[in-house]
Amino acid sequence: MSASFERLIDGIIDALQSHVVPNSNDDFVRGQVFSAIYALNGLKLAADWKVGPLLEQLRLQDDTFAAVKRLADGMAHPETPATPRIRGDTSDAAAVEALRDDGDRRLGQLLLWASGEEARAANPNAATEIERLLRRAICDQLKIELATTPKSMLQQIAGGERDGGAAQG
Amino acid sequence: MQEAAKQSDDVRDAVPEPARPAAVNDDAVRTALAQHLSRIFGSRTEIVSFGRKSSGFSWITYAFVARSAAEADRKLILRVGPPNGLFAPYSVLPQVYALQALHGSGVPVPALVSAEQDGAEIGFPFFICAHIEGDVPAPWAASELDPDHKRAIAQQFIEILASLHRIDPGVTSFASPQQGEQRAELRAIAGWRASLARPTARYYPLLDWGGRWLHDNCPQPPRRTIVHGDYRIGNFIEHERKIAAILDWELTHLGDPHEDLAWAMMPTFNARSRKLYGVLERAEVIDLYQRASGIAVSDKSLAFYEAYALYQAAAIQMCAVRAFEVDRFNDMRLAVMASQMPSIVRAFERALEAAA
Repeated sequence: MSASFERLIDGIIDALQSHVVPNSNDDFVRGQVFSAIYALNGLKLAADWKVGPLLEQLRLQDDTFAAVKRLADGMAHPETPATPRIRGDTSDAAAVEALRDDGDRRLGQLLLWASGEEARAANPNAATEIERLLRRAICDQLKIELATTPKSMLQQIAGGERDGGAAQG
Repeated sequence: MQEAAKQSDDVRDAVPEPARPAAVNDDAVRTALAQHLSRIFGSRTEIVSFGRKSSGFSWITYAFVARSAAEADRKLILRVGPPNGLFAPYSVLPQVYALQALHGSGVPVPALVSAEQDGAEIGFPFFICAHIEGDVPAPWAASELDPDHKRAIAQQFIEILASLHRIDPGVTSFASPQQGEQRAELRAIAGWRASLARPTARYYPLLDWGGRWLHDNCPQPPRRTIVHGDYRIGNFIEHERKIAAILDWELTHLGDPHEDLAWAMMPTFNARSRKLYGVLERAEVIDLYQRASGIAVSDKSLAFYEAYALYQAAAIQMCAVRAFEVDRFNDMRLAVMASQMPSIVRAFERALEAAA
């Protein structure tokens, strides 16, 4: 979930057109590839990232911002957004993704602050606790992302091998 | 990459850029290569059996035979730094220094034939070296070789690393361009931090924070040595149960020898095993290395460099993310690398916890 959905589809289509089609002399295989390109173009118009995992990450970030505010207890710290950042249901994955990315940057600023000299001097116990909280929350957020990541196929991808006993997806 | 990038910046400042083609064209390279070798050999040289050996993301490797009336056929390797490679712009200098300095030492390297940093004749930075007979093992595949064979190779691999770290860098070409006020290890960390700070769609807070932690907690090296920078299974040629050459010196720099040891033991490069090449236990590796190098391995430094190895791996993956998302380089392997970021970042966080 790093590249945008549209960027990923464009990349797949270009890779098929530039590398697979010119190297295939089999009409049936070429037909399959062009069909896949057509289907991908359709997906680009109709589909998007699943919004569920993004919303889950967003909620986790919101909880973290609220906890930091509570633990900071008057210490001056980098700005945190008013939470919750989204109320009710939303299906706009791009908007949620943008909020998640903005949340990551804010979490980064908070983590650098909490582990820095200024926060340590102001309240060492609170700073340590906030640092731990942030690290744990960021790892939990990564876990959500890992749940939507297929198993590695590094061996096949790096070597171009057909077999290798790796994941199906 | 860190030193290579720095050095190539230096070179760019010093030498006017020749007009370069935007991408590497194999036919044009072959023609230019024939002209180049004809000039340096002093007789008309023909290039035969010319072909790419790899489809990697970085340096492009060609194998070929140089044929001239003056002498017997020579099997050679050409490596070219492409303008759109993952770590472009490239410098040929670390590899040239390494091949020159290590020739005839206890570290087997291919003999250097020719090199050009400005790439005037071929259009890109390049070097030519001798072809070495043998096989390159795949680091991520469980090998079919028998364990005794692998054990013999793994032991040689560590003994060669020890030989590399025993060399006094002060008497090699590495010393002069890397002098500066900042410690070499900190320069390397700063290079990766700068690379990670380049804008991409995705920002990973743990990498930002972890980069600062690494910079603030970098241990003093037991001795500053030549560091290969990518010393792992897959970066050597083995032939008849013997390591015939150590390859890929593009990340070579001065630094802490623990860096190479930690990188070599990463499970990623050992078919996900905690054992080196799937056969040599960690304690055996350390014991063998200490005896062969005379350098005492510090648990704390090794833990630091294990975290640093994952940080570097994350930074390299982010170069791929950037190439796909920002530079619109449509190689789907780059997009796949992006999807591995969460697992690398989590592993990095755990490694930092262990190192702290």
